[in-house]
Amino acid sequence: MNLDFSQIVPYIPFILEGIGATLKFVSVSILAGFILGTILAIFKITGFWPLKVFADVYTSIFRGTPLILQLMIIYLAVPQLTGYDISAFLSAVLAFGLNSAAYVSEIIRAGIMAVDKGQTEAAKALGVPYRAMMLNIILPQAFKNILPALMNEFITLTKESALVSTIGYLDLMRRAQIAGADIYRNFEPLFFAGVIYWVMVTILTLAGRYVERRMRQSD
Amino acid sequence: MIKADHITKVFGKNEVLKGISTTVEKGEVVTIIGPSGSGKSTFLRCLNLLEEPTSGQIYINDEEITSPRVNKMEIRKSIGMVFQHFHLFPHMTALENVMYAPQKVKGMSKKEAEQIGKNLLARVGMTDKETAYPNRLSGGQKQRVAIARALAMEPEIMLFDEPTSALDPEMVKEVLDVMKGLAETGMTMVIVTHEMNFAKEVADKILFLDDGVLLEETEPNTFFTNPSTERAQSFLEKVL
Ligand SMILES: Nc1ncnc2c1ncn2[C@@H]1O[C@H](COP(=O)(O)OP(=O)(O)O)[C@@H](O)[C@H]1O
Ligand SMILES: [Mg+2]
Repeated sequence: MNLDFSQIVPYIPFILEGIGATLKFVSVSILAGFILGTILAIFKITGFWPLKVFADVYTSIFRGTPLILQLMIIYLAVPQLTGYDISAFLSAVLAFGLNSAAYVSEIIRAGIMAVDKGQTEAAKALGVPYRAMMLNIILPQAFKNILPALMNEFITLTKESALVSTIGYLDLMRRAQIAGADIYRNFEPLFFAGVIYWVMVTILTLAGRYVERRMRQSD
Repeated sequence: MIKADHITKVFGKNEVLKGISTTVEKGEVVTIIGPSGSGKSTFLRCLNLLEEPTSGQIYINDEEITSPRVNKMEIRKSIGMVFQHFHLFPHMTALENVMYAPQKVKGMSKKEAEQIGKNLLARVGMTDKETAYPNRLSGGQKQRVAIARALAMEPEIMLFDEPTSALDPEMVKEVLDVMKGLAETGMTMVIVTHEMNFAKEVADKILFLDDGVLLEETEPNTFFTNPSTERAQSFLEKVL
């Protein structure tokens, strides 16, 4: 067995910096995906068909094609078509945010549909306007039910984020690869990066459980 | 106060209401009685536009609320509704349930809404449960909070759709007592119910609905002792 973790010691700061890079674009992507996904979910349940069709087509496209292809198209095709030299960071946020929105919208739509119809009726009967009803009555109940599914989506996004290494964004994965190339040893830096991903996902999971417990207050 | 004029409602091919006309005066308590599936809920829900009548007009205080120009939200502010299954907001405490609509719909300050909420919960005997979430309440308690929630909008009319049908027998009385108290204050009430004794005691008028047709519209004594239609007779034989 040829293992020597001491060789990566000089590269540890370099690799660790990737955590920040990864977290930065993952959190922006999650936020963007979540907001856009909520809006798309509301489009899907409105009675106004053009919005519904738009949201359905959107979802179908982003779920029906590989994420890496979407990333490449944004990173490579945008400069070719518009002349705008898009940064790796912006490409990554766009691709992951837009992609995640498609999945999140489906989760939220299902969550909204699962809220008892009686809640809508009670709110309507009180004269509550649609917006307030959604924000104060329906969405809080929907989110509580779908929190595990949402957490799952965020975890998937965190792990899939390693795809951005393919467009040269200096995330955790890319830095591990660079370190590996420098010292002619791939296993150690990749293993090290793997541990860091695992820790990040575990923290996310625990945070999710905590929020879930807090929300259970009323049960 | 309420006037319904030839209301029909069709779901797909199913004509559920077949031209119902009636009036409810201010301060009147009207109960709607009839077999399951006869269209009682549908008619009640037309009165606050949770269902839109297929044809016919409804007037409230001489304003036609079935006109397409009418803002449904405005109409509903002055009509409270109590449901069979309560439909309390589960993520809000009893007090928050009552405070919500006055704040969001009427733009009332939190302090004012809280005062009104506490008064109303006291009125329905729920003061000690102000901070309880709905799932900590019994059915009877939930329904009393739901009544307080509807009253918080200071409606002119209260609609009740089988408010005691989902309750355990020992909780029926506490809810009916609150409703009796409300009737005594002069509230205009339309109540779908299977509580015949309550109807006899409290109602000014009974509407008997059968298969989407308003078969009888009489005062309780006549209805219970001497119903004019055979359908009502056989229905009463079954339930009394
Ligand atoms: N939203 C709806 N869509 C289709 N059919 C309905 C709907 N609501 C009620 N109905 C039908 O209308 C009829 C009357 O229902 P309802 O008014 O609830 O009767 P009741 O309250 O007297 O039991 C029933 O046959 C029911 O299946
Ligand atoms: Mg009914």
